[in-house]
Amino acid sequence: MSNVLAKIQDIRIDVRVTRRLRLRIVDTASLTIQKGQLLGLIGESGSGKTMLCRALVGTLNRRGAYVHSGSIDFEGIDLVKASKKDWRNIRGHKIGYIPQSALAGPNPVMRIGAQLAEAITQGGRKSKEEVRRRSIELLELVQIRRPEVVLKQYPYELSGGMKQRVMIACAIAQNPKLIVADEPTTGLDVTVQAEIMELLRNIRKEFDTSIILVSHDLQLINSVCDDIVVMHAGATIEKVPSSKVTAALHPYTHALYDSRIDLVEPRGKLRTIKGQPPSVGKWPTGCRFADRCDFVKDVCRSTDPTPFVQVNDSQWSACIRHKEIYGGAK
Amino acid sequence: MIRRIREYAALPGGFGIICGISMFLTITILGFARPLFIPYAPDELVGDGLAGPSWQHPFGLDQLGRDMLSRTLAAVPADIGVAFLGVSIPLFIGTLIGILLAFAKNKVFLSLVGSIIDGINAFPLLIIAIAMVTFLGPGLFNVVIILALMNWARYARIARTRAQIVLRENYVEAARLMGYPRRRIIFKHVTPNVSSETLAYALSDFILVIVIISGLSFLGLGARPPAAEWGSMIADGRVFLGEAWWITVFPGLALCWSAVSISLIVEGLSRRDRAS
Amino acid sequence: MKLQLSSPLARKIFGRTIRALSISFWVMVIAFALMRVTPGDPASARLGAGAEEEAIEALREQLGLNVNPFQQFINYLGDLSRGDLGTSLVSGISVSEIITKTFPLTLTYIAFSFLFAFLISIPIGVFIGWSNKASWVYSFRTFTSIVIATPNFFIAMVAILFFSVQRDWAPVFGYEPGFPGNMRYLWLPIAINTLILVSIISRVLLASVVDTRSEEFVETGIIRGVSRIRFFWFYILKPSLAPTIVLMSYMMGTMLGATVILETIFSLPGIGRELVGAVLASDYPVVQGILIFFGVITVFLSFIGDLLAYLLDRRVKL
Repeated sequence: MSNVLAKIQDIRIDVRVTRRLRLRIVDTASLTIQKGQLLGLIGESGSGKTMLCRALVGTLNRRGAYVHSGSIDFEGIDLVKASKKDWRNIRGHKIGYIPQSALAGPNPVMRIGAQLAEAITQGGRKSKEEVRRRSIELLELVQIRRPEVVLKQYPYELSGGMKQRVMIACAIAQNPKLIVADEPTTGLDVTVQAEIMELLRNIRKEFDTSIILVSHDLQLINSVCDDIVVMHAGATIEKVPSSKVTAALHPYTHALYDSRIDLVEPRGKLRTIKGQPPSVGKWPTGCRFADRCDFVKDVCRSTDPTPFVQVNDSQWSACIRHKEIYGGAK
Repeated sequence: MIRRIREYAALPGGFGIICGISMFLTITILGFARPLFIPYAPDELVGDGLAGPSWQHPFGLDQLGRDMLSRTLAAVPADIGVAFLGVSIPLFIGTLIGILLAFAKNKVFLSLVGSIIDGINAFPLLIIAIAMVTFLGPGLFNVVIILALMNWARYARIARTRAQIVLRENYVEAARLMGYPRRRIIFKHVTPNVSSETLAYALSDFILVIVIISGLSFLGLGARPPAAEWGSMIADGRVFLGEAWWITVFPGLALCWSAVSISLIVEGLSRRDRAS
Repeated sequence: MKLQLSSPLARKIFGRTIRALSISFWVMVIAFALMRVTPGDPASARLGAGAEEEAIEALREQLGLNVNPFQQFINYLGDLSRGDLGTSLVSGISVSEIITKTFPLTLTYIAFSFLFAFLISIPIGVFIGWSNKASWVYSFRTFTSIVIATPNFFIAMVAILFFSVQRDWAPVFGYEPGFPGNMRYLWLPIAINTLILVSIISRVLLASVVDTRSEEFVETGIIRGVSRIRFFWFYILKPSLAPTIVLMSYMMGTMLGATVILETIFSLPGIGRELVGAVLASDYPVVQGILIFFGVITVFLSFIGDLLAYLLDRRVKL
């Protein structure tokens, strides 16, 4: 299994609310990302997918959160215990990051050129000419027209899609092994969204970079990614290749898939998932999806924690009754 | 009652708000009820000049032998009362003008009033108040007039900006499209939104105004002797700072007490806003 | 005719300049109007009830009140454009000369106060803001709100009580020109101004640092691995500084107002004390001249402040 780039194992993340009160926001989450893989991470808001990303890039403490237990293995380094020096070697070099909101992406008080230069010179000093050449190269790579002009502009002069392209250019400046893209297309037009996704795919193909793409849009993830990891109430509950989503092994994944708007026939009824996702701090024991599940039985509520296990060579599930419900793995 | 206060105090910012309100009420009530429990009139000579604090006169006596406790409390109507007028009149005028401006269509009128507002606001309030005293003469009544003439422009600017934003909101837009009468839009939607903003400013403006009133009196341009007023008492004590600090310090503390009480309320309110 | 301005920057600066000029114009109009619209005749008010008719008439002529208001306004603007602010009724010295004589002192200690306040506020605001510890933030805010609510003349009196009356660290009042000597008289007013300014400026800086802290681009900067010094400037201070600069330029004006009181307390021969003296002596031309001067300076300062803020952070509206 030398093909594995990063492995998150059974991680639990807590957040400090007040001096005494701590809340679990991620618990029993595991995922593996292969080299060159485009992995989709999906979940409703509050499912902990963003926090999982923050753990990967080491910025949990900014929000008063920390890893309670578990490990994140990235090329032999445990990111949970990584020292400042380790992080210096990782940040900007090995892990790139594309931020959540397209509108607040680039630093508003720096010219685009300065921000790119910052990302480019992370690997060591470079001459002005070199930086400029590389900046233009990067901007062309993310398909920005007239890069010479854009270099001198401030973020407020760019459109949302342009800003996000710049952020991508910054993220890939050092040819990182892993790019974490946290909902990179929220707030963008659908056409721009498609362009950005296409761009991410090209980057993956060209540089053999692994990408974790976070989203709450299953349709989007399904059409772009190789594998999909589904999160619900702080836990990873399913891992499935995108080609096999219809054969998913967790009722929640099916529910998500079925509630897609495009499945609805004209004048048909929209299918929604009943109930609300359990809010942080009020997770039930046992399967946290139990209250919303059509197939719930007492055993679902009494097994705690529900183990996230590999079912066959490509699928994982956290549903203890997946065999009964879906007749075993196909 | 006590339980409800306690519950309120537990909310974010609640403690500060309650502290501020009780501090403010304390000094206001003591000030207005002064004749009931202090046997000396503020301008009555009750002993030797510059006598220090004693059981009989806890705040000491001033240079003429007047009771400082009585004078400090007697100044409450002059300072807090005038400040109340000096805030509420501009608040009313300014909010009204600001809302009208947001509705006005006549370009000449708009730019004229807008320029006057900008022009007045360009002057530091204390400076223009001092200059006005030259033409109107000193006295607390004139201070109220000066504040009414000069301070409304700040409220008008806030109100105009706010009203313009409100008018662009979807629900107002909808009310307009549905053909509701203009009066209804003004009173139902615009005024409550705008006045909540100007009222919030009025609270912090109260501190500024009380400082301006006492500052003018300190310079001898506000309250006329022998009226009791904190700023002029502080000025009186200036010469005797070495031998009779109490003439300066007690009115000053009363002034701080009032201003700090308001600022605790402002602070608490802003903390509450941020928490929600 | 349409003005062709190439860059958007130039266009914005041009627009803001026009606005500053038009507000300055209105400042002059208001200063002009104040003396004319107030009830009563300034000339007879100044000379008192028993004055002779001829003396009043002579004063009216000296003040330019003997022609119709429109003509008065034209004359007034004409004088202003020549830099003539009138002549003192008391000393016979021209108002512009009075200003050039007294303003440098005021400017000196205000500039020092702002310099110190700025230098002190940045570490305080950034440190407490970045830590974002609720207990620190609120104790800081409570302390500064008390300082801000306290009138500067009371702070000054207490300071005099401690530093001049009880210990002989600062002269009670007086002034001596010349650099090292004047600091003996100026350090206390500067310290008081600095304390008040630090409270105001660091509060605003703290609030904007707290805002900046939670912005997405800061996270991106951390993950990009930006070096510490670059991070401090480009990701914390520069994005937070614009509101502080705008406020500082506004506070300069308010501080100019407050100097009036401080100069009176410390008997400093600055422009503020000159104004109070002129008010007490009903010296109309001096009052009007200093009023215009203060107004125009405030407009100019807020122009500079807005411009600086815009250059630092293009999100600022000019």
